[in-house]
Formats: sequence, C-alpha cells, structure tokens
Amino acid sequence: MTVPGPDRRKLLSRVATFALAVGLWFTPIPSGLTSQAWHLFAIFAAAIFSVIVAAFPLLTAAMLAAAAAVLTGTIAPAKAFAGFANGSVLLVVVAFLVARGVVKCGLGRRISLLVVSAFGRSSLGLAYSIFLTDAAIAPAFPSNTARSGVLFPIVLSIAQGAGSTPEDEKTRRLGGYLMFCGMASLAVSSALWLTATSTNPIGVEIVEQFGLKINFGSWLIAASVPALAAVLLLPLVLYRLFPPGVSATPGAPAAAREALRSMGPLTRDEKVVAVAFVLMVAGWVMAGTLKLDLTAVAFGGFGALLATSVLTLDDITHEGGTLATYLWLAVLFAMSGQLNELGFMSYVGGRLSSALEGISWPAAYVALVVLYVLMHYLFVSQSSQVLALLGVFVEVGMRAGVPAPLIAFALLFASSYFSTITPQGGSQNVIFVGSGYLRQAELYRLGALTTAFCLVVFLLLGTPWLLLVVR
Amino acid sequence: MTAVALSWLVVSLLFAAACSRPATGPDGAPAPGETRTFEGTWSASGTRYTLQLEPGHKTSILRLTGSLLLTGQRRLGVGFQGEAIGISDSQTGGVGHAVWTDERGDKVFSELKGQPLGTGSHIVGTITGGTGRYAGVTGEYELRWQYVIDSDDGTISGRAVGLKGRVTAPVAKAPAR
Repeated sequence: MTVPGPDRRKLLSRVATFALAVGLWFTPIPSGLTSQAWHLFAIFAAAIFSVIVAAFPLLTAAMLAAAAAVLTGTIAPAKAFAGFANGSVLLVVVAFLVARGVVKCGLGRRISLLVVSAFGRSSLGLAYSIFLTDAAIAPAFPSNTARSGVLFPIVLSIAQGAGSTPEDEKTRRLGGYLMFCGMASLAVSSALWLTATSTNPIGVEIVEQFGLKINFGSWLIAASVPALAAVLLLPLVLYRLFPPGVSATPGAPAAAREALRSMGPLTRDEKVVAVAFVLMVAGWVMAGTLKLDLTAVAFGGFGALLATSVLTLDDITHEGGTLATYLWLAVLFAMSGQLNELGFMSYVGGRLSSALEGISWPAAYVALVVLYVLMHYLFVSQSSQVLALLGVFVEVGMRAGVPAPLIAFALLFASSYFSTITPQGGSQNVIFVGSGYLRQAELYRLGALTTAFCLVVFLLLGTPWLLLVVR
Repeated sequence: MTAVALSWLVVSLLFAAACSRPATGPDGAPAPGETRTFEGTWSASGTRYTLQLEPGHKTSILRLTGSLLLTGQRRLGVGFQGEAIGISDSQTGGVGHAVWTDERGDKVFSELKGQPLGTGSHIVGTITGGTGRYAGVTGEYELRWQYVIDSDDGTISGRAVGLKGRVTAPVAKAPAR
C-alpha cells in the first residue's frame, strides 16, 4: 500500500469535501427544517471539514462557502455579509492592530523581558505566567475578547523575545505553544469567574428561569476546584501535546534583566502606547458601568496610536494577515449566526437532547454535557450557543432527573471552556490564531484535545465538587 | 485523515442523523375534517426596535425566527421553522403574525395576540390557514415565554414553552357533478 503524496492527499481531501457538501445537500430535508437551513448546514459543515482535512486554508474555505451560500440563493447577501459590521469581529481586528503598535514601539519587548526575568527559567514557567496573569485579571474584564487584546501583545513579545518566529520551523513551536496557552487560558479563566466574559451573565439569566440564583460568590465557589485544576494542569498538558522545543533556559532571567538595563528609560512612543493601553484597559473594565462600547474604546486607542505616529499608514499596509483574519471571521460569524436564526441550532440541540429522555440521570448528565460541547463545532460565538441551547439542555437534564444546579453549572462552565474546540470557537481565539505561529491542523488538533481534557476535568473533579457545594 | 477530521465527520453525520431520525406518530397534515392536538417549544432569536413613549410606556417592533419543535403522538409534524413579526406595547399588549414553514416549504399562518413580549408573557395564536398540505387549516394555540433576553444592540432571544394547540383540516368538498 502506498502513502499518497501531498498533492494527491490534497486532491483527495478536496474530493471528500465536495462529496460531503453534495451528500448533505441532497439528503432529504429532515422534517421540521427548511431547505434553507439544511443547505446552509451542508455548506458550513463542508467548509469546516475542508479546513480540518487541509483541503483549503480557512480564508479560502470561508470565501468559497460565502459565495456558495449566496449564489445558490441559500441566504441573502445582506445576511451573508453582516459579520463585516459586527462589533466583536471589528474588536478582534482593531486589537490586532493595536498589538502591532505595542510590539513596534518596544513596550512589548520591555514587558516580555520583565516577564522573562521573573518566570523565564523555562518555557513552562512562561506558560504559567500567562495562565496566572489571565486568571488574576479576568474578573475585572467583562469581555474575554478585550482581554485577549491585552494578553496577545505580551505573549507575542515574549515569543519574539525568545527568538521564535512563525516562519522558522525550528523556533516556531515555542511561539505556538505560548499562543495556544493564551487561548486555553482565556477559556478556563472565563469559566472561573462569573464576570470574566459577557456570556456568563447571559447564562445566569437563563438558568434563573429554572429557579436557580447564581451570584459572583456562588459561581466562584462552584468553579473553583475544576477551573483552578485546569489552570494548573493545562500548561503541562499542552507542553506534552505540543512540545515547545525549548524547555529549560536557566540563563534567561539574568539575560532579560541585563537587556532591560540596556534598553534604558521608556521612549516617547512607549509612553504614548502605555497611556493609550492603560486608557483602553480602563475603558474595557468600566464598559458595563459607563455604558461604553468595547469596539469604540479599541477604535479610540487605535486612533490615538495613528494620531501620534506610533503606528503609521505604512505599518497598516503590511497587515495582510489581519485582513485575511477579518474576512474569514466575518463570513463564518455571519454563517453560524444564520444557522442559528434559521432554527438549525435549536432544532439539532432539541432533537439530540430529547433523544436522551428515559435514560438514567448520570448517563443523561454526561451525554448532555458532551453533546453540548460537541455542538460548539457549529458555533462561532459562545453567546449564540448559550442563547440557543442552554435553556433546552438544562430543561432536558432536569426532566431526566439531573439535579438542576449540577446540570446548570456544568453547562455554564462548558460554555467557556469549549471555546478552544475550533480556532473560530470564540472571538478571543482569533487574535492568537492570526499570529501565524500555529498551523490550521495543529489548531484543530490542540483545540479538540484541550477541550476534551477540560471536559474530563470538569466532569471528574467538577461533578463531585458541585454535588458537595451547590444545592 | 487525522483523528480530528474523522471526529468532525462523525459529528457532522451525528447531527445529520439527529435531524433525520424517523419521527413517531402521524406527521404531516391532518386528513380532511380531522383535528389534531400538538405540544412543543419554540426557540427564537431576532430583533426588537423600541420606541420610548411617555414615562412607563414603550412600544416595540419585533421580528423573531427559530425552530419550533413539536411532540406527542398526534402532532402536526416534527417541527417547523417559525417566523413572527409583531408589535409589543407595554400598555396594550402584543399583536402579530406568524408563519410556520415545514421541510417541504408548506406554510401555516396564524395571528398572535397577548401580553407584551417578555419573560413569562402569555401569547395566544389563531391559525388562519396555510399553503400546500396545510391549505385551509384552522385552529388555535397558546404559549408562554420561559425567558426573553434583550441585548444592548437590539437583538433578542427567547424560548417559548407550553406551546399547546389544535388544528383542524377543512372538510373535503364533494366533487362537482
């Protein structure tokens, strides 16, 4: 038996993608769905499948899917392109550009040297510094996308400071490891704190209709054991799953301190970026209280960097990767939203969960949580899934006899940690994905394994803990 | 093919299988003159544009779409895509129209009336007819919004439970002589 070469493998992947799309498209439309919803599912499923099997890059798959959806009359152009005006999508793009400013002026390098001087004895130490910093600042940030805009420039600077570049296969792995640590950290820190993402309060509002009252303290108690266990274990697990190539760097802290000394005092550009960054962070933290729009805050910071010439138009013209990210994210965001609007998500969720009726409650509990996590393959927004499916799954769980607080908390936590299952599973991922340090196949593999690990931790540690502390 | 690719293929097929699982009961339109009862849920999302009137009084235009899933042995199909538009007034209540569309593109039309849209509100629908296999059907139904969540950007999501109703097919006319 001969192993197919790269070209032949790509051709086979493309044929498989086309076969999946055509096969689903011409499958008889299930009772209760419209042809529109079913055909959009066929296009969306094939697009994601094509990326996973490396038939096409994400951008290519998204562009072909958008064209197919509109040209076949499956969805209207205005619906297909609505993602280009979505606030969350724009926030990712602008945060990306601001991060470039942080790196360009040298402030990123200075911060990274500070981090390395404290934690830089090993790449594992750097990973823990990312997780612990994020876990500490998370409760103050109501948006994990905004938090990714804070973490990313620091992670990027650490990677670059260690000599890791996306283009160099030898050094790329350290940057890739740290980037995925950033994504995984955002996922579990969002599960740890009620106020760490805008999705959590929405979920709490929904489960309130089932008689459950959850506040900041009760959430933290319920999440503490499984989420902290995940925070402590994930850097190690990712280290095994994606060895960074560099392990011990005992001389790095001293070298970093020396480099810091040689950098001298803050430059004018660094001061400008520091002030702009602090104001942006303050705006994001106070967004709820002051009714500030998160994206507008990011636009303000970006505008300030342009106005002060820290970033120039010439810098922006080199941001082709940001444009690519904007294009695929906007298209997938809109498509997933349309699948939801056409009733596909709640239909599948309702059908899958109702199929579990009649089995014992522990089995129903595990199956519901697993299905809920798997459903995130179809979503490009955590909030959308919570709004579409959380109520359905909680109700089915309660009907199956699962204690209401148990199923509610388990699904609420899953709504955060499932975000790494795909690169587009949460807008906070996208800025790390766009860095180019990780290949698409690596992102999907690490995403699936990280989510599976979190699922196991939250089921095995979280379930007994929840049964002990929540009533 | 990698394990992740295989998983994704399995997930896709799982979703497809979930959708195409054979339904129990006599799905589809009732026979001429037959009355069927149905129960179910409606998960919907959409938009709300609100006009603030005098203090304590506001009115809004709504558009909602989503999946309407029916249960029971004598239901009217497995489900529909439900779409509704309406006006909700905090003082006078809500009125609107709904269209349910099935997998064949056949539709059921209804008029809606009830409390202003919000968590716990009760809505009554009057089925006024349809197209295709639902042509001429009449009936009524009711539902209660288990929760309705408004976002700052005007989007709205909710889930209606306790959807109960009945529908009667028109009696077949005798062929003209």
